[in-house]
Amino acid sequence: MSSEFPEWRQYLCRACGLIYDEEQGDPDSGLAPGTRFEDIPDDWECPLCGVTKIDFELFEKPVVTVIEQTENFSSEPGIVVVGAGLSGWAAVEAIRQLDQQVPITLVSACQGDIYHKPELSIAISRGLDKAALIKETGIDAARRLGVQLMSATFVVGITSELHQLRTTRGSLTYTTLILAQGAKPALPKQLPPGLCWRVNDLTSWSGMQQALAKGPQKIAIVGAGMIGCEIAEDFIRAGHQVALLDRNEFPLAGLLPPLASKRLAESLTCLGVDYRGEDEITGITELSNGQKQICFKQGDSLEVDQVLAATGLMTDNRIARHAGLDFEQGIQVDPNTLQTSEPDIYALGDCISIQGTPCRFIEPIKHQAKSIAHAILEQDASGYEHSAPVIRLKTRSLPLVMNGLPVAGVKWTLIYEDAETLIMEQEVDNHIVAHLKVGSGSQTQAA
Amino acid sequence: MNSVAVSSITAPWDDDAKVLADVGLVAQQQLAPAAKRIDEGYYPLDIMASLGQAGAYAGHLDQHGCRFDLAISAMSEISRQCGATGFMTWCHDVCGLYMEQSGNPALLARLGDHTLGRTFGGTGLSNPMKALAGIENMAFKAKKVPGGYSVSGTLPWVSHIGEGQYCGAVAAVDRSDGSRSHEIMFLLDLDERVSLRACPEFSGMEGTSTWAITLVDYFVSEDQMIADPARPFIQRIRGAFVLLQVGIAAGIIQGSIDDMRDVEPTLGHVNQYLHNRPDELQAEFDDLVARTMVLAETPYEGSKEFFLDVLDVRSQGAELCLKASQSALLHQGAKGYLMSASPQRRIREAHFVAIVTPAIKHLRWEMAKQMREEVPA
Repeated sequence: MSSEFPEWRQYLCRACGLIYDEEQGDPDSGLAPGTRFEDIPDDWECPLCGVTKIDFELFEKPVVTVIEQTENFSSEPGIVVVGAGLSGWAAVEAIRQLDQQVPITLVSACQGDIYHKPELSIAISRGLDKAALIKETGIDAARRLGVQLMSATFVVGITSELHQLRTTRGSLTYTTLILAQGAKPALPKQLPPGLCWRVNDLTSWSGMQQALAKGPQKIAIVGAGMIGCEIAEDFIRAGHQVALLDRNEFPLAGLLPPLASKRLAESLTCLGVDYRGEDEITGITELSNGQKQICFKQGDSLEVDQVLAATGLMTDNRIARHAGLDFEQGIQVDPNTLQTSEPDIYALGDCISIQGTPCRFIEPIKHQAKSIAHAILEQDASGYEHSAPVIRLKTRSLPLVMNGLPVAGVKWTLIYEDAETLIMEQEVDNHIVAHLKVGSGSQTQAA
Repeated sequence: MNSVAVSSITAPWDDDAKVLADVGLVAQQQLAPAAKRIDEGYYPLDIMASLGQAGAYAGHLDQHGCRFDLAISAMSEISRQCGATGFMTWCHDVCGLYMEQSGNPALLARLGDHTLGRTFGGTGLSNPMKALAGIENMAFKAKKVPGGYSVSGTLPWVSHIGEGQYCGAVAAVDRSDGSRSHEIMFLLDLDERVSLRACPEFSGMEGTSTWAITLVDYFVSEDQMIADPARPFIQRIRGAFVLLQVGIAAGIIQGSIDDMRDVEPTLGHVNQYLHNRPDELQAEFDDLVARTMVLAETPYEGSKEFFLDVLDVRSQGAELCLKASQSALLHQGAKGYLMSASPQRRIREAHFVAIVTPAIKHLRWEMAKQMREEVPA
């Protein structure tokens, strides 16, 4: 090829965008490779759209200046909150206090109605139903707070690199994601979900409430933790027969020293609760009369009308797994900022774990929400300071208050004891780590 | 052709890269030029035979190493050039899967020819899948007769079938009092006993050879039986069944991104103002493929979590198909709107992926069902 040989040129069809390349020609229409544009007969037609040569123009590749975008403008959806329980709504409220405009979408598996969850363990004896417990419907709250509520919508997957949340009503993108998915009942395999009620949310509580509204019944509560003990008292006060079952000899054995645990057992027995400790359930089956038969390891069995599982909570790890979030007993968050291991994802409430420990209490939620709102709206705040919340057992027959967090294996010291009141403490390195008061007596100080 | 087939049998497609290269070559050289014709009604059994010889229908089978990643990638290469043939590849793949997983020696004896693309068969499981999910009624009814079952009924819209071909089918077996006993699954041979009725014209993908099947007292022999009862079998293969479909979507998405990139030199200066640019779509596509390939390692896993993940990629695949094909047309503009252009064809292919069983709405319905906690009745 001599230096005078003109370069191959390309011609663009103005009608359809086809490029005629002189080097390639168009053998299908009889133009051999190397046919110069000027040598093409005038009646030649564009092989794609059929226009003729005069509709072609010399193609010179334009210099394209693309404006760099920091965000893809098609994906500027604002804040997405997953979960419309106390934590989800608390996060929304905290954001709205600081910013009335930022778009918020709230994705909820339930209707998103606002209710005070602790009331669920005392509501049967007060004759309350679902409608009476709802303080504000999800729709009303969403209107009040200017939120797009996607109710009865499940989150199926997240790709955090793309800021993409996939739900059963389609995909969303987020600038910041706040996870308030809560925890769900941890059901041991001996307890079939189709036979055991759980009361971790209003909908499932309401199903049980309707079953109990038919009249006094015999109920077995499996698990004598805080919820199990509170509900046992609630059911008794509502006129039902209650058997409270636990693997340990006394109720709340994981939290309380034996002296206190024993008092609680006595108090429940006085109320009429049939406390059955130290036995393991091997299975539950439904009998032909609709009753449930609970079989125990020791060989005996118990027939009841309803079974309620109060066997503790766990955080579902599906969302965390999809988003690649650090997870240990819950979604791991920074104790001050509530940020997860992904910078644009925060979490609060029952679904989180702080230094590997879940914290499933009401009191810290509003502080967590406030901290998150300040962080994502880039406003100064002191941040969240985690401390063990005060634990109160809502058993009217024997109130129980725990300050601090008991440490397993550390000795409890008896501070005060009389017929109504018991006060005990745990000390580690001369610091009181847990203070427990059992009973309604006015005694509050060490004697 | 024969020499290719012989060499394929002696070299059983054990090199993934070679299979993909061979399938890609057939797709580019034979399928791409025929895509418009197939869209309009040409049933490309000749090209599908070449694809079979290249190993396109083997990867996911146990006897070829249970390489679902290979099967999905091969399907994607095909779908990238022609969505209709991508869909028929899926039909053919799952039909092979039924034959193999049945364990029925009579069906296993027919699997070799099926895998090689010497014989062809589809799947009539759209209706049964929806029936078992409680969405519609089962179309075929079976009665026990000596040596097998007698099946009657009409099943609309079964693709990749024709006279002398076959497809997977399910029929309900009712008790004498009319209550449901169980279901059977069998390979329906479309012989002289079967009448095939043409379907109304579809808006695209007309070359998929889609017919309504009417059976009147059709005898199903033991040799045709895939599973009796059918439910445990379907339960076991449903994840694999849905997962393979991602291959159809993947090809349409990649083809759409190809279409956008093709016009970048000429139209990039205006296309920059569009939503869903190729790099953005490619990032989402890469994520989808990566998650799909992880699931492809354990296609028969029975957990709820796994099935949810499968439904998630299938659903995302359909959504991304819609988004990418729409964007490809906008990127190409009038050129893409020509009847001969691939973007307008891909839009119709993407709509197909979005509505074929399980459609996006079925997928979301099923995902919600899976996510809901079971409580006492």
